[in-house]
Amino acid sequence: MSGGVSAFTFLYLLEAVPWTLLLSGVAFLGGGVVGLLIAVMRIVPSWPVRWLATGYIELFQGTPVLMQLFIVYYGAAVLFDIHVDAWTAVVLVFTCYSGAFLGEIWRGAIQAIPRAQWEAAACLPLSFRKQLWYVILPQAARISIPPTVGFGVQLIKGTSIAAIIGFVELTRAGQLMTNATFKPMIVYPTVAAFYFLICWPLSLLAETLERRIDANLGIKRRL
Amino acid sequence: MKTYLKLLALVVLVAGSTLLMSHPAAAETTLDKVLKEKKLRVAIDVGNPPFGVLGKDGQPDGSDVAVARQMAKDMGVELEFIQVPSTGRIPALLAGRADVTIASISVTTDRAKTVMYCNPNGALSIVILAPKSTALQKPADMVGKRIGITRATLEEATVPKMAPQGTDIVWFDEIGATIQALLSGQVDAVAMTSFAGKTVADGNPDKQIEPKLTVTTAFYGPIVRPGDFELRQWINTWIFLNTQNGTLAAIYKQHTGLDLPTLPTF
Amino acid sequence: MHYVFHFDVVWDHFPELLNGALLTIRLSAIAMVLGLVLGVICAYQASAGPGPVRQAIKLYVEIIRNTPFLVQIFIFYFSLPSIGLRLDANTAAMLAMTINLGAYASEILRSGIEAVPRGQVEAGRALGLSRFQIFRLIILFPALKTVYPALASQFILLMLGSSVVSTISAVELTAITNSLQSTTFRSFEFYFVATGMYLVMALGFRASFIALYWLVFQRGRGA
Repeated sequence: MSGGVSAFTFLYLLEAVPWTLLLSGVAFLGGGVVGLLIAVMRIVPSWPVRWLATGYIELFQGTPVLMQLFIVYYGAAVLFDIHVDAWTAVVLVFTCYSGAFLGEIWRGAIQAIPRAQWEAAACLPLSFRKQLWYVILPQAARISIPPTVGFGVQLIKGTSIAAIIGFVELTRAGQLMTNATFKPMIVYPTVAAFYFLICWPLSLLAETLERRIDANLGIKRRL
Repeated sequence: MKTYLKLLALVVLVAGSTLLMSHPAAAETTLDKVLKEKKLRVAIDVGNPPFGVLGKDGQPDGSDVAVARQMAKDMGVELEFIQVPSTGRIPALLAGRADVTIASISVTTDRAKTVMYCNPNGALSIVILAPKSTALQKPADMVGKRIGITRATLEEATVPKMAPQGTDIVWFDEIGATIQALLSGQVDAVAMTSFAGKTVADGNPDKQIEPKLTVTTAFYGPIVRPGDFELRQWINTWIFLNTQNGTLAAIYKQHTGLDLPTLPTF
Repeated sequence: MHYVFHFDVVWDHFPELLNGALLTIRLSAIAMVLGLVLGVICAYQASAGPGPVRQAIKLYVEIIRNTPFLVQIFIFYFSLPSIGLRLDANTAAMLAMTINLGAYASEILRSGIEAVPRGQVEAGRALGLSRFQIFRLIILFPALKTVYPALASQFILLMLGSSVVSTISAVELTAITNSLQSTTFRSFEFYFVATGMYLVMALGFRASFIALYWLVFQRGRGA
């Protein structure tokens, strides 16, 4: 191992970017499915179901992602006697994590829909399930797009924690390159720059969408 | 309302039975499985020079990596590397992600409680390294200094025992971070294998890193899960043969520059 | 593989874990206070400061919000020494957490500041108050009250995020858990208990924030 940054260093970092994006994408899609389920579970009339969903959200929002990764990667395998590799562990954890946060965002969006909409839909008449599917969710979806995109940015940044259990995404690539080149002053800011180039456009998109939807719906931004 | 409870119960039932059904049939030995699937999964640590490093082309290299490659070739199976950080070398094996770990795991009685050692395939010494200007001739000099140590290593098991009261031990999860800490001056000295130390010193001549104290010497060997006697026996046989024909000595010399000492067997 | 749980090993080391939790609380609490102060200063300057200062703050906020915290602490601890600034692990962690929170707090406060009715600000100007006096007396308190839930959430995220400072050798709960599990080989048991401790701390902080809200904002104060 010699010191010194070369073109290979940047190439290695660049090649890790697709892994970060892939992990984020898969976790976002999986988390989306889970999140939708959780959001609906939070508003149904049955209290045990609501309770379960709330417990799920508390668990994944109230514990560090790093700990969740450690437990799944080091612990779950011995517990259930199944082989858990790094990819499976990170996908599982980030999916559950996304599901909790997206569930909260979407529940908030659903609850932002005025009561009148529910009542009008009930008058039509539509069952609870049909009210949700045809009247409420489409409207809630629109409101929820900006914070959902915003969470996408959080997720992409969050995947950097996967580096700590050795999963090779952008941050881990940075660690390995620092070990190979002994030049942390060049490597880590470069890694940060890559993340910035990925996340900043998405953040701007979220902000633009937010302003447009606020203007259209005349709804004061909920905090 | 009742419908939701029924749906919930169904989901829980399905999830539960899927988890239970994923229990694998444990009739065959690990060696049988490796030979049948024609794949040997070896856990390695590419952040641990010279035993495991990441080559210029991004491919794993190093003395233990070379040993793994030769072993798989002689076994006639495909090789799959499971890259782990230092703290993951044993957990990866115990969790079943790897069939064997070849990552300079020094022989200690504590580790022997949770894993099975094969015969050693090399030796190393743990030294304390520091820049030339730092005064560190004897253990007492460690007082008041920050010593960086990597977790889940032999230095973790040995240095705290010999460090006098007043030594500030600083912990890192992987050797890369420990090395960075020394080079950036975040710690006054570090403890690691003499080989890793040599790599650091050679790669940073301006810092003038040199070994100051030798803490201990140890033999290291591949490890397998408790109960995998057949795999262990095969590996021991392989080590015996490759000690005889000089392959192990050649690999060792190529990566460490030293002659392989006489390897004990047990 | 038949795994035997050994939680007794964890109980033997419980005092050390408790010490780790206290260190996490201390680290997070200090970073919360300093980060909030930084956020208030930045929020004020972002709306009332001169042009270049406003640009600088916007740059600072965007960089922090679009790069991962893990990479930020690597830069503080490993990269900065190359340019002569060497911080020890715990200081680097504190600084990174403060700067990280400051950016988020400033953004959160900005929306709270915008929510203060224009009439109040105009009334202040009519009374001849300076910009700073208007901010301090009219805007700050209601803004804090409005964004309190968002701020509290961000604080808890910070506390949970503190677990990654273990990678730069800072001493808190995750670092201590890592040390204990690597010497006893009881990874699952230790991570399980440590995760539980984080959950308790998160709930504890949340309860404290609710109590604080009641104490500061609800006891007979006009605004």
